[in-house]
Amino acid sequence: MKNNKKNIAIIGVGSTPFGDLFQYSYDDLVREAASTAMKDAGIDPEELQAAWLSTAFPEIGVFKGRSGMDLAEPLGIFGIPVTRVSNFCASGADAIRNAANALAAGECDVAMALGVEKLRDRSPQDSIVKMMVELSHPFYQKGFTAAGTFAVYANRMMHEYGVSREDIASVSVKNHFHGVMNDKAHYRTKCTIEQVLASPMVADPLTLMDSCPTTDGAACVIMVRAEDVDNSKHKPVYIDGIGLSISTGWDLPFFDSGHKFLSFQATRDAAAMAYRQAGITRPMEEIDLVEVHDCFSIVELLTYEDLGFCRTGEAKDLIRGKVTQLGGELPVNVSGGLLSCGHPVGATGVRMVVEVATHLRGQAGVRQVKDAKRGLTHNIGGPGAIASVIILNNEN
Amino acid sequence: MSEIIKYHVAFPEFRVSGQVLHPGQGKNSRQCICYTDEDLITLSFRACSALLNGGPEPDAVLFATSTPVFRDRYHASFVADLLGLKQGILALDIISTARAGSDALLLADKLIGSGEYRNILLVAAHVDFPPVGEEFRNATGHAAVAMILSADKGLAEISSVQSYSSALAEEFYYKGEKTVYDPRFARAAGFKANMADAWKKTDPKPGQTGKIIINSPYARMAMSLLKKSGFDTDQHLFKDTIAPMVGHTGACHALLLMISAMENCQGSILLFDYLNGTNVIGFKINQQPAETRLSGLDFTEIVSYQDYLKLRKQGDFTDITYRTKEMFSSEMMMEREKDQLLYLKARECTSCHTVFLIKTSRCHHCHGTDFKVKKLARTGTVYTLTAEHYFPSSFPPVNMVVIDLDGGGRVTVQQTDNMYPDEENRIKIGDRVELVYRSMMENDRKPNYFWKCKKMARKGAKNAKENEK
Repeated sequence: MKNNKKNIAIIGVGSTPFGDLFQYSYDDLVREAASTAMKDAGIDPEELQAAWLSTAFPEIGVFKGRSGMDLAEPLGIFGIPVTRVSNFCASGADAIRNAANALAAGECDVAMALGVEKLRDRSPQDSIVKMMVELSHPFYQKGFTAAGTFAVYANRMMHEYGVSREDIASVSVKNHFHGVMNDKAHYRTKCTIEQVLASPMVADPLTLMDSCPTTDGAACVIMVRAEDVDNSKHKPVYIDGIGLSISTGWDLPFFDSGHKFLSFQATRDAAAMAYRQAGITRPMEEIDLVEVHDCFSIVELLTYEDLGFCRTGEAKDLIRGKVTQLGGELPVNVSGGLLSCGHPVGATGVRMVVEVATHLRGQAGVRQVKDAKRGLTHNIGGPGAIASVIILNNEN
Repeated sequence: MSEIIKYHVAFPEFRVSGQVLHPGQGKNSRQCICYTDEDLITLSFRACSALLNGGPEPDAVLFATSTPVFRDRYHASFVADLLGLKQGILALDIISTARAGSDALLLADKLIGSGEYRNILLVAAHVDFPPVGEEFRNATGHAAVAMILSADKGLAEISSVQSYSSALAEEFYYKGEKTVYDPRFARAAGFKANMADAWKKTDPKPGQTGKIIINSPYARMAMSLLKKSGFDTDQHLFKDTIAPMVGHTGACHALLLMISAMENCQGSILLFDYLNGTNVIGFKINQQPAETRLSGLDFTEIVSYQDYLKLRKQGDFTDITYRTKEMFSSEMMMEREKDQLLYLKARECTSCHTVFLIKTSRCHHCHGTDFKVKKLARTGTVYTLTAEHYFPSSFPPVNMVVIDLDGGGRVTVQQTDNMYPDEENRIKIGDRVELVYRSMMENDRKPNYFWKCKKMARKGAKNAKENEK
């Protein structure tokens, strides 16, 4: 494959707070994230030459984000190509991937990738739950909510690998501990294993506190080719690798006799692409911080193995040994993760890149990962079909 | 003349007693009650698919019920399609008549007598709920019966069929839209019109006729006829043991009594199926069936009236209660994907033998592109599962079960019949389960059926044992 490394720089980042943002409209979210990022990059709107908008679920949100138009209109940026990207929970990462490719191809010189989702204008059960209950295929997976499609992995993992219920809950405890330090997180409260276990059951064994909330929020990055970085003006981070893979289907895993429910092949495939581009062979040693898609706590555990941070069946040892807590060998989700930040689906992947970039620039304040040079973001969605992995570096 | 060559029955697992329906004054009655996702169609499918296992392929289907689920489509055609019978088969409904079961038998016998048909699948089913608060008076049991009437030799020979029709019903008159119970004159006159006349014309005689079966809510009134004709009712009248066990089963009941006779008697039997007229069916039992269907049945008793109401989807009783939700379903989708969704025809990769129920043009695991059709078994083992507490249901949580089917293949379906998630019913990795065909959306009045699973080796297992094949 040609052009393994794309030599793309992120020169501006911005995000809104994440939470019940009743005071913000969809357009307000777009404006705030975009203007913060453009200001950070030191560019004016007319310098933008192309943009990608990530909103995963317009029809269960506020019916906005069906096309790139819903980015152009609130910003008043017209006369350039704007494309809406939709790839479930990897939508935000895919917007960044598309922007990077267009820059690498020379289609444009300054690109924006913006993710936004407005879910809280509806009641919680009217959004993602509604999709699974009322809108989906009448037979395949009927009876599942999103939580259940991951809970079946949890039960199999507990059965095969001796993962305990407490191990799973520990992910939530760790990420909520981190979330306290993030003033943009949806939830900023510490919790204990006992509280996680005692919270209402959602999909056995996952409880409410093993689950991320639906959330409003937006995040944005401004990107240029590395050669165009102006070091007097910018504090850039560089894209070392981007992998995105669809490795099964929405319904297929549940009707495929070879599916083991112990791993997400999509994560493995996306990681392999990104690692190859970045030249990473020993991820545990070569990466300093990670944002993992902890939509449900079990997913973070599975992902340790899929990203190659440990061997199969050993994820529990990383969480037990506090290896992935801030101060540990490989801090994971120091932002608080989806469990604390919430999950505005289209925005999450971009939010993670903003988070990692902030650490690589040394601007993360109390939760700063010391001497962070290289970070990784990971998304999984659909429910385990699509994954993205992005590797960022503060040196080119 | 035709013969009954095989039969099968299906009852719901759940049963309610008179005491539960009306504490303090309830009788010792018991009625089988459909689970929230069962209906005429699912019970009929269960009885029929067990029956047809091993042939013969019927050349006509007659469907009998007085409690139809569809207003303007054919139940017989629907069931024929579920069973995968050949297109264009004769499929007729006999609907909303009190004697629908024996009417259908009578018609089947005549059709076979005509020589045009060789094996007719006869299905009778009954699922009816009385108005809430009136269960005591009107409670009936839910059931389905399937039998094959054939030109070939079998278990019992139909020796005579007669139908005596009457316009005069036994005990009703109408007040506006309502049927009003009044036994004073109509029953006396109705009995005379509907039963006495048929009895006289049939003229049964002790020593010649064999046992007598009378299927009617007013069977007692016929006692004097039997006695007058010289019958000893203790000796000659065949006792109904079905109604005390599962309730009176409407259009099924006459056929169930015939089956009961086949399992318990020998010789000739004369059945009077009388309500708003009388069908008189004489049959001769050739041989005892190898396997009985009406003995050794096991039911789960419904504990409270509240549970009974929940099962009927009446009222809100739980935090995350079942509420009517319009969920997407499409008749054309089922039609198009019938091979997978209904007949469980999957595709097996010929190189690595992975089985996919969802069509894929390239094997996900070995990238092979050659597949062969594989019909999946309906029994299997739980691979993994979860209990969904936020999916709407009358009896939350909804257990979603990932199953490795025997002989290969994977499905993920809901668990059903788990009204009481007790130790016996709790499901875990490694448990044995069987697939059952049920209504998918509890509220959905569309014909929206799919597979669910039920834990094996528990109550009601005999009813479903036919699935193990």
